[in-house]
Amino acid sequence: MAQHLLEVQGLKTEFKRGGGRIMAVSGVDFHIKKGEVLGLVGESGCGKSVTSLSIMRLLKDTPGRIAGGSVRFEGTDLTTLGDTEMRRIRGNDMAMIFQEPMTSLNPVLRIGKQLEEPIRIHLGYGRKQAREHAIHMLRLVGIPRAEEVIHDYPHQLSGGMRQRVMIAMAMSCSPKLLIADEPTTALDVTIQAQILDLMKRLKEEQDMGMLLITHDLGVVAELCDRVVVMYAGRVVEEAPVRELFADPQHPYTKGLIQSVPKLRHKVRRLDSIKGNVPDLSQMPAGCKFAPRCQFAMEQCHVQEPELVAVNGRSDRSSRCFLTQEPQVEGGGEG
Amino acid sequence: MNEQPLIEVKNLKKSFEIKKGFLGQKKYLRAVDGISFAIRKGETFSLVGESGCGKSTTGRLVTRLLQPTEGEVWFEGSRISDLPESRMRPLRKHMQMVFQDPYASLNPRMKVKDLVAEPLLIHTKLTPGERDKLAHELLETVGLSSMHAERFPHEFSGGQRQRIGIARALSVRPSLIVADEPVSALDVSIQSQVLNLLQDLQEEYGLTYLFISHDLSVVEHISDRIGVMYLGSLVETADKDTLYDRPLHPYTQALLSSVPIPDPSLKRERIILTGDLPSPVNPPTGCRFHTRCPSCMEVCKTATPVFREVEPGHEVACHLYDEAVMGGK
Repeated sequence: MAQHLLEVQGLKTEFKRGGGRIMAVSGVDFHIKKGEVLGLVGESGCGKSVTSLSIMRLLKDTPGRIAGGSVRFEGTDLTTLGDTEMRRIRGNDMAMIFQEPMTSLNPVLRIGKQLEEPIRIHLGYGRKQAREHAIHMLRLVGIPRAEEVIHDYPHQLSGGMRQRVMIAMAMSCSPKLLIADEPTTALDVTIQAQILDLMKRLKEEQDMGMLLITHDLGVVAELCDRVVVMYAGRVVEEAPVRELFADPQHPYTKGLIQSVPKLRHKVRRLDSIKGNVPDLSQMPAGCKFAPRCQFAMEQCHVQEPELVAVNGRSDRSSRCFLTQEPQVEGGGEG
Repeated sequence: MNEQPLIEVKNLKKSFEIKKGFLGQKKYLRAVDGISFAIRKGETFSLVGESGCGKSTTGRLVTRLLQPTEGEVWFEGSRISDLPESRMRPLRKHMQMVFQDPYASLNPRMKVKDLVAEPLLIHTKLTPGERDKLAHELLETVGLSSMHAERFPHEFSGGQRQRIGIARALSVRPSLIVADEPVSALDVSIQSQVLNLLQDLQEEYGLTYLFISHDLSVVEHISDRIGVMYLGSLVETADKDTLYDRPLHPYTQALLSSVPIPDPSLKRERIILTGDLPSPVNPPTGCRFHTRCPSCMEVCKTATPVFREVEPGHEVACHLYDEAVMGGK
């Protein structure tokens, strides 16, 4: 088997809270191949953003720390790297874009200056060369009048334009992996369509791997090749994107897909998942989804199911006793 | 339509004054610029559009939380747009609002039962005991338990807080609820719970909703009729099925085609608009959408299209349909 671009194994991230520690990510496994878009899906508090920050080793200014597991990028375990080495990888080989471009751009520096800094540091370009490259990147992400925009401050640009600048900045050193945390959530739909279109194009042109973190199943369907669904700090299901929507295995994934109102699907009432996401400090024993699950059995409240391959496939798995039991209906074949 | 609408809005306008420039010259931001619509009793009418299109301002004008600059608002056959505050206040119990951010719209120092009963204190002469009893009942109605009555807002999740906001709006038995992005801050599994609750309550109490949202999938699910806004103007109104099956305005068409659909097997043609929203301080001449419109003609740059009915119940403001109207006459 070829080496994966990114391989996350048993990743655990904990946060100090009050006197104790809470586990925000409890043993997450997934991988991303070269040129592939992996969607990381889940609702607020499921640990998807913490996972991405852990991969990028950006937990320093938070009460959080990686408590176990490994994050291998092209074979190198990032969790063991020193700060200097990590800084070299960040921006160069791996880049990240965040949800709110206003808070991730420096408000008192001109766009050009902010774009040129990583180019000069990581690619070793001179001043003039860096400027040319910055203008080239802005054009690439579809910013009109790039030569002028470079002299603007972030507040002079609209939300869509700022997100384009963020993407240009992230892409400027041709990273092998781009981590995008809710990249279009703060944008209006017509602007979101522009940005999704841009990301799709860039991914194809640059053959870049992407980890797309989102709560929006529409965006997932639009952009991803494979999907990992998270709930309460765990992976509950993994599948290629078409299969996830056509034949979801885990009751949580099913509930999630059925909760979303879909255009031109006429239903009187939406299916919904009862109850709320459990508090990280008061996790139920057994399956974390059991209290909200309509199929929960006695066993589910006692014992936590493992993430197990579905029908012996390497690209499909589910963390549910129901999908692990020998299928009664399908028994005829065996 | 011979039945009297519950709410009727005629040529409604709202400008905000902003000071700009070296000598503090006055400039005006025309947030809502001459819109008209009517909402029938028991119906859900939605205003949909992108940020800055004036949909929230419209909601606040209808309930008179903002004073219109021009135009009229009629409620149950009487004009309320120029009523003095003293005469407006008793009317407020008939029109309540539910806001987007359940964190910001509930006083963190008040107990849930007091939050829910507060409108009763203002609008009714109930005794404290009666108010308390009603608050408990209301909590049950919105799917919380009376156990929650003694707690404070911070002890609740986003979805539960939105339920508290709804119970509060419901307490004075309004006929109209203006819901401004009521589910936008919620996770999908919680969003569907709240949408279902809103539908159940409408059925039970015969409520009329003015629903304001940017989410076209949510709007389709909940609405009977829909108005699409762009830069302070209505560009199209129609009943739900007509609007989603046969959108006429190029902006509506682009908006609908932009919505990401959670179905990876679906391949469709997408209309991608170029450029950003123009500033409402200095809106484009002619049709306000002409700078981004894929079917822009010469006339669109100079002449403002008239908002008119092109087929029964389907109104649109676009020069593309000028002839259709002429031909029909």
